[in-house]
Amino acid sequence: MMNRYLKFMLSTALFLQIGVTGAALAEDAKPLAGQHLSVLLPPWGTLPKEMTDAFTAKTGIILDTQTLGWDDIHTKIVTSTVANTAPGDATEVDWSWVGQFGASKWYQPLDGLVSAEAVKDTPTAKIFTYDGKLFAVPYNNDFRVLIYNKTHLSKAGINTPPKTPDDLLKAAKAIKDAKISAYPIGLPLSATEGTSTTWYLLTKAFGGDLFDKDFKPLFVDPQSGGYKALSFEIQALKDGLIDPAVTGLKDVEVQELFKSGKISFDIAGWAGNLAVYADASKSQVANDVAAALMPSTTGATRTIGLPEAIGIPAASANGKAAAAFINWMLEPETEIGSFKSLGNLPPRLSVLKQLNGEGALKDGEILLAQAAAVEPLFAQGTPGWYPEFSSAVATAINQTAKGQLTVDQAVQQIAEAAKTASQE
Amino acid sequence: MNEISSQRGSRRRNGEINLGLAFVVPVIVIMGGLVLFPLVSTFVDSFYRINPMRPGTPFTGLTNYTDLFKDAAVQRSWINTFYYVILAVVLETLGGLGAALLLNKVRYGRRFLLAAVILPWCLPPVVNAVVWLWIYNPSYGLLNGLLQSTGLTSAPVVFFNDPKLALLLVTIVHVWRMMPLSAVILLAALQAIPQDLYQAAKLDGAGPIKCFRLITLPLIASGLAIALSQSTVFAFNLFDEAWILAGSSLDTRTVIIQVYMFAFQNMRFSLGMALSLLAMFASLLVSLVYVLKVYRETRFD
Repeated sequence: MMNRYLKFMLSTALFLQIGVTGAALAEDAKPLAGQHLSVLLPPWGTLPKEMTDAFTAKTGIILDTQTLGWDDIHTKIVTSTVANTAPGDATEVDWSWVGQFGASKWYQPLDGLVSAEAVKDTPTAKIFTYDGKLFAVPYNNDFRVLIYNKTHLSKAGINTPPKTPDDLLKAAKAIKDAKISAYPIGLPLSATEGTSTTWYLLTKAFGGDLFDKDFKPLFVDPQSGGYKALSFEIQALKDGLIDPAVTGLKDVEVQELFKSGKISFDIAGWAGNLAVYADASKSQVANDVAAALMPSTTGATRTIGLPEAIGIPAASANGKAAAAFINWMLEPETEIGSFKSLGNLPPRLSVLKQLNGEGALKDGEILLAQAAAVEPLFAQGTPGWYPEFSSAVATAINQTAKGQLTVDQAVQQIAEAAKTASQE
Repeated sequence: MNEISSQRGSRRRNGEINLGLAFVVPVIVIMGGLVLFPLVSTFVDSFYRINPMRPGTPFTGLTNYTDLFKDAAVQRSWINTFYYVILAVVLETLGGLGAALLLNKVRYGRRFLLAAVILPWCLPPVVNAVVWLWIYNPSYGLLNGLLQSTGLTSAPVVFFNDPKLALLLVTIVHVWRMMPLSAVILLAALQAIPQDLYQAAKLDGAGPIKCFRLITLPLIASGLAIALSQSTVFAFNLFDEAWILAGSSLDTRTVIIQVYMFAFQNMRFSLGMALSLLAMFASLLVSLVYVLKVYRETRFD
């Protein structure tokens, strides 16, 4: 009796010992298990359920993704932060907000929290530093490339993509004359950010820059790249090569026009969008789309990088879980999954090369060649007054497109806005 | 006996005073906390520089206000706002009065007609604006479809490329939603007028226009002042319709949109505060005109 009793007690003790240790070990493997993480991202950052389920299975963290249009996320971040609440535990941080949010100290520095090796493999991470500290890590390697409908071009008798802005105009005219597309050139002219970034890109295409190193405007001179770029847009509009309705369209709406085959050139094409355009379930031009290097007057292609990243707001109560999420986003499998499902070009160089090696990157050679020619818009770092300046640019271009300003008046107005914004 | 009854009386009076206070204090606290305190705080902060991108909040006096007067975009947004206010108030009042007069005449089915009239007002402003955005769309919008099918235009029109047309179209969207409120207010005022006044006037030989001018208008003056005030204030605060239909385009930008851009886009909070206060004073001033000139206490005895 005693023996049986003793055996029972011993085995129970052993069982408890192993069981508790086992449970403790399991918890150590997922120290953040059961925590909730709210993530605020635009539509192209909202990963499909299979991927987020994999994250939860790996870390035990329950993800709550909020999707907001890009133009609205900035407002949400500002209003929440001013009210001393975190807009999310991890949020979108666009390259253009780095100056504002860095100066306001609204985001937590990530040095030491995220994988240093992955950050080193990500050239665009430099854009997200302020005062020497890293504030966000890119998840989307957006740079601009010329995306065009090669079927439209070949029907108009053109077999090579345009290499200069003049070639682009000639090709568009040929397509319009052949009645293949009523308005072949697609670019936004509404008072939104997409309009401004298209003009910056075309400024580079015309061999110019926005500012010199002291932030003095370089686009007021009629011989400058910026002036010529704006003249190019307005002339194309007047010649009937751009739909007059684009004064009310954002860049994502112009992309829908390309997907439906209504326009031939997505001028400021997002590099990652090639994958989306080539997907027959998402676009009607899957077999017609192709990429080409950005046209240039100088013979050497130039483009700008407008990457987006994820950062942790200073007011976030869940910094560790947010860092775990960011590290997971940096993993090669996640970047590849994000590319295949949402068209986010991987920011890590090694992953880009791997994808190209597998032949999974549509027009991969062009993309890699274009990636090599990417310049940041502001070599000195994005200033805090950039959003104010960019809004003034979009407003001026919108007014010029509606015939209320001449190109000359528009560039003067933009230069004035730059002066006012930078002096505040 | 008298002493006891007067003691009881004063205790009852104190009880009534305390009860009155108990009813009033929550309202005072809520109004104070949600209206008065933010108002005073905004007013005080508008004299400082509050910009999270820059350290400290130094006192800047009237600099914010002088900067606003010099800013061309702000001037344009004031012009747009006054345009909206004048047009919206005229359309809403005339339309509301017309609708109220018609509804007042209807004997059978007035409730259903009233419900139908109020329907646009029940729509959330953003939903209303999105619906009209589709109607105005150059490629697939109903308006372009109607104009082309009736032969009035031969090609799709991009309405928002013309600044004057853009302002008119935004106003129409706002008026479509807000007119029912004016109609309801004026209908209530019309229904309070005793019918024997009209009968007496008819006996004296007054025609319908004289009846309207000498009986109806003076007796609905209080309702008219309220309808005018609320039209003005809502038109001054126009944001949703202009923002959804045309974004930050300068052609349709209102003062409140400019406030939003200063504060939340450019992070210049105190500048936004100063402008929002100016908008408040402007709408208060205009409403004061109505209250002093139009409003009349009406008694029917």
